[in-house]
Amino acid sequence: MIAPVAKKHLTAGIDAGSSSVKVAITRSEAGDHPEILATAVQRIRRRNIVEVVQSTFAAACAEAGVKTEDFDYIASTGDGEMVEMRTGHFYSMTAHARGALVLEPAARAVLDVGALHARAIKIDARGKVLGHRMTGQCASGSGQFLENISRYLGVPLEDIGPMSLEAEKPEQVSSICAVLAETDVINMVSRGISTPDILKGIHLSIAGRLERLLRAIGADEVVLLTGGLAHDAGLVAALREVLVQGKKNVQLEARSHEEGILAGAIGAALLGAWRVDQLVKKGRLELLGARAAA
Amino acid sequence: MTMNPPVETEALFAGDRASAILATARAMVEDLHLGAVQRWKAANPGGMAIGYMPVYAPRPLFEAIGCLPVSILGGGDQIDIIRGDSYYQSYICHIPRSTIEMGLGGHLNCLDGMVFPSLCDVIRNLGGMWKMLFPERWSSYLDLPQNFALHLGGKFYASELTRIAKELEARGAKPLTAENLRIALKNENRRREAIAVLDDLRRREPWRLPASDAYLLVRAGGMLPAVEHAEMLEEFASAVMQRQARPFDNVRVVLVGSFCEQPPFDLIRTLEKAGCDIIEDDLMLGLRYIEHALDAESADPLETLAHGFIKFGAATASRYIGEEEKGAALIARVKATQADGVVFAAASFCDPALLDQPMLEAALDRAKIPFTAFKFAENTGQFQVIREQAGAFSDSVKLWF
Repeated sequence: MIAPVAKKHLTAGIDAGSSSVKVAITRSEAGDHPEILATAVQRIRRRNIVEVVQSTFAAACAEAGVKTEDFDYIASTGDGEMVEMRTGHFYSMTAHARGALVLEPAARAVLDVGALHARAIKIDARGKVLGHRMTGQCASGSGQFLENISRYLGVPLEDIGPMSLEAEKPEQVSSICAVLAETDVINMVSRGISTPDILKGIHLSIAGRLERLLRAIGADEVVLLTGGLAHDAGLVAALREVLVQGKKNVQLEARSHEEGILAGAIGAALLGAWRVDQLVKKGRLELLGARAAA
Repeated sequence: MTMNPPVETEALFAGDRASAILATARAMVEDLHLGAVQRWKAANPGGMAIGYMPVYAPRPLFEAIGCLPVSILGGGDQIDIIRGDSYYQSYICHIPRSTIEMGLGGHLNCLDGMVFPSLCDVIRNLGGMWKMLFPERWSSYLDLPQNFALHLGGKFYASELTRIAKELEARGAKPLTAENLRIALKNENRRREAIAVLDDLRRREPWRLPASDAYLLVRAGGMLPAVEHAEMLEEFASAVMQRQARPFDNVRVVLVGSFCEQPPFDLIRTLEKAGCDIIEDDLMLGLRYIEHALDAESADPLETLAHGFIKFGAATASRYIGEEEKGAALIARVKATQADGVVFAAASFCDPALLDQPMLEAALDRAKIPFTAFKFAENTGQFQVIREQAGAFSDSVKLWF
C-alpha cells in the first residue's frame, strides 16, 4: 500500500451475513494502526435483515459514542444491499482477509466458516488475497448444518463446542452431504451413541472438508478461523487434530480468536479507511461522507 | 426470464413515475408471447411484424414499409428447452435452441416474418431451419456486408435492403418510398438520442440509473416503434431525475461480449450486487449499432441507411475488421466512460465473442486496464461463482489498482 495520509479515519464495517449481522467501528490511519472502538453482533432469527442491520449498527454507535454522520466511510460486506447507509461494499473474502490480519498478524491463510459456506483464503502479509477455494452447493461444511444438528439433538448451539471436547470415541459421519450426514446422526441416536461422540464426529467431518480446502489453496503456515464458527472450540480442536494427522511436509497451524466472528466487519471497516485515502487523492469526494470530504 | 425484484431499486424508488415505467418495461420483456407486438398489430390492421435475430437489422427500413421490427432474443430462463435441443448439437450456444422452442411452441405466432442477419454459422443455420419449419411464413437471411468500401459493400447492402423491401411488399407491406424512409430515419434518430441520454445518465450517476434498469428500458424498445420507444425513454429520463439517490463507492466497468444471447437479468444484478457499476455495455447492441445519427433529409435515404452501416457500425465481433481496431475501440470506450475495468461476459460457445476476446484482452493488457472474464447461458440459474469472481475483481480494482 502507498503511504497513508496521516489522518485518523473513523469507519464502520457492517457484515450482513445469512444468520447474523456483525458491526465493527474502527479508527485508523487509512487502515493502519487500527483501534477498534466498538463491536456488536445480533442474530437475525427470522427478523427483517434491514432492521437488524440498523439495530446492530445503532448499538455499536452507542457503544462508541458516535453518530452516523461522523463516519468517513461505512463499508458493507456480505449482503451489502441490506446496508442502506453504506458508502461502499467489499466482498466478504477480501474483508475477512484484512480482518484476519488484525486479529492474528501471523495469519497467512483464513478459514471463513459461515452459516452457508466455508471458504479457505490464502493471503500475503498485506492481507491481499492470493487464492481461495470454497465449499460447493452442499451445506455439510457450514454453520447452518451445525445449527440443524443442534436442534435435532436438543443441544443449545453454544454448548456444542464444549460438549464435543468431552468425546471419547467419536463416530464417523458422512463428510459429503448434509442430508446424508443428518440421516447418519439420526441413526447414531437410535444406536445409543453419546451426544459428545456424535458432535465430535460431525466436527471431524467438517474439519476434514476444511483441511482439503486449505490443501487446495496451498496453505502452509498459520491459518485463522473466522466467521460464525470461529467460536466453536470443538471445531477448532477437531481441525487441529485433522491437521496434525494430515501433516506431511507443511506446517499448518490452526488458530482462533475470540472475535473471529467479527473479522469480516473489522476488515471492511479498515478497507473503508484505506479507500477514503484513495478517494481523497483521486478527488472523488462526492462518494464520501461529509466528514471525510471536509 | 425469472426476475427477482431488484431489491435496492424497488425499495428506494417504489411508487414514483420512473418505477411505473420500469414496471411496464419489465412486463414487456418478460412476456414471451410478445403482447406488445400483438397490441401493435391490433392497432395497425394489416401491419406486419417482422422478427429479427441479433445483432443488427435495419429497423428504419421495416418501419418505412409499415412493418414493426421485433428484436428476438431467445427465451432466456423462462422456457424449458425440449424440442429445441433436438435441432442442435451440444457444443453451441443457447439462443437458437430457445428460439426454435419459442417458434414451435407458438410464442412467435404474431410474427409475419423473420430476418436472420449474418452473425455466425449458428444463426445462419437457424435461418435455414426456420424456412423448413415454417415454410408458410416469410423469412430471409440478411447478408450484412463485410467489405466496408462504400462503392462495394455499401452498394451491395443497399441492394439487399431493396430486395427485402420488395419481398415484403409482395406480401402486403407498403412500397418503399424515400419520404417514408426519411421519416423512419428521423424517428430512429430520436430513439438513438433518447438511448444516448440514458447512457449518459448512467455514466454520470449510476446510482440513480443502474444498468439493470437501463437494460430493461432499452430491451423493451426492441418490440416498439421508434417513436413510442423514444417517448418512453424521454419520459423516464425526466422522471428519474426526481429520484432522491446518493452515490456508492463502486467500481465502474464496461461489460463486453453479450451482444447476441443476452445474460439472465439476475446476472446483471449479480454484478451490481458485487459492487460493479456497469456504465457501458454491448447488451441490446442492435439499437445502438449505428453510432451516429443518419441524415434524415438525405436525397437518397436508402443509400444513407446502407452507408450508415458501413461508416458508423460498432466495432463488434460480428464485424470483420482488424483486431487492432477492435482493441483500440474498446480502450477508447473505457477511457471515454472513465471506467476502471472491463468484464467479459460471453455466452458459452459464442464463437464471435470468444474468438475476439483474446485479442481484446491483449489490448487491455497492453493498456494496463484490469479485466475479468466469465461465460454464461441465457438460462443460467446459479450466480454464486460469478458473484465470487465479480466481487474479487471489484475489490482488486478498488484496492490494488
